[in-house]
Amino acid sequence: MWMSVLIVVVVVVMFTAEAIPLLKKGNIKEFRVFSVLLLFGTSLSIALSLKVAIPSPIDWIEFIYKPLTDWLQTTLK
Amino acid sequence: METIKISVRQFTILVILFSVGSSMLIIPGIIAKEAKQDAWIAAILGVGVALLLVKLYNVVGSIEPNMTLIEIIEKVLGKWVGKIVTIAFLFFTLVTSGEFLYFVGNFMSTEIMPETPILAFNILFAIVVIIGVRYGLETFARSAEIIFPWFIVLFVLFIILISPNVEIQNIQPVLEIKTKPMLHSVLLFISVFSLSPIVLLMIFPIAVNDAQQAQKAFFKGTFIAGIILVIIITLTIVVLGTEATAHLMYPSYALAKRIEIGNFLQRIEVIMASMWIITIFFKLIIYFYASVVGFAQLVNIKDYRPLTLPLGMIIVVLSIIVHPNIVESIQYNNGSWIPFGATFGLLLPLVLLIVAKVRKRT
Repeated sequence: MWMSVLIVVVVVVMFTAEAIPLLKKGNIKEFRVFSVLLLFGTSLSIALSLKVAIPSPIDWIEFIYKPLTDWLQTTLK
Repeated sequence: METIKISVRQFTILVILFSVGSSMLIIPGIIAKEAKQDAWIAAILGVGVALLLVKLYNVVGSIEPNMTLIEIIEKVLGKWVGKIVTIAFLFFTLVTSGEFLYFVGNFMSTEIMPETPILAFNILFAIVVIIGVRYGLETFARSAEIIFPWFIVLFVLFIILISPNVEIQNIQPVLEIKTKPMLHSVLLFISVFSLSPIVLLMIFPIAVNDAQQAQKAFFKGTFIAGIILVIIITLTIVVLGTEATAHLMYPSYALAKRIEIGNFLQRIEVIMASMWIITIFFKLIIYFYASVVGFAQLVNIKDYRPLTLPLGMIIVVLSIIVHPNIVESIQYNNGSWIPFGATFGLLLPLVLLIVAKVRKRT
């Protein structure tokens, strides 16, 4: 719980330090991309801090490449 | 993109540190398991194949010398296919950055500071990497130039100090290995050592001030890094023996623990640790730089700096979730990583090359 609060604080600091200047300079596109990525990062971190099981991208990779990996391992045995 | 230029010398050093990178600690164990006492021969063959791959990267880089890999992909494969391939490539660089961060945290918490949670190392290391990337390519290339002599001094010192422990009978009998384990170990060596320089195409040849010389520098850097790795692999085998090398997670670190000169110079394995931290720092920073610049080019924004913080946050989370434990990370590195790395390190440049050739003809 405290971890999530800490994350939110850090994110707010990042946002004010990075996104507000972007808005002031009128870089709307940069601002949008930054905000979306930050939102994504924040939700991931909070999920992690609340011990929600996040699927690992490595599992997807292993799933996609499974036939190839198996083939490699059997032929080179 | 603003024009940033680094010198050929800086590029060579980046190639060396990048290629030695994560490999230094992990490779000896991986290939000693397959090739036993002939692991050093497998490594030499692997370096040979690596030089061929560098040739391929050089050719791909010279399709459009004034573009980064992402721009080349988009130009050669067209807008839509290009975007999809770019997203896949960024997925590759981001996940792999997260994995390197995992290696750092895991190494520090198992070998050096066992009481500290792994997240602490990952966050600290990520902050340093983010700062480095925000300063830009020129700055971290220059810092590589400053740190490189130290790396070489530590490396030479390490060889001299370990030499009394060498037992040459550990690599005998030579060439007892069969063809299949040999192929497998060469493949493992290549997968860790020479599939990732594709990421260097984000800074080469566009950001190097002399493209012609840079191609030679790419070869030279890979060759020197290969020699460093062959030396380390040979040393771990002649000092620790094949059994110990194959069973340890970090054989080259265990190797450094053996250093003992006259009862007063001992336990200096942190030499090895600092060499490794230096090299993996540059490996991670180039991967992360590639991800950030690539992402900026994907969404068409001029300055990549605003993206460093959120993407940094994402790689920290990735570094925690990529591998639930060390066993799975070993399985992944010996298994799926080979085809996954080859998709981007071998297939992607080949496809780019062929499509570019066909397009030029029509």
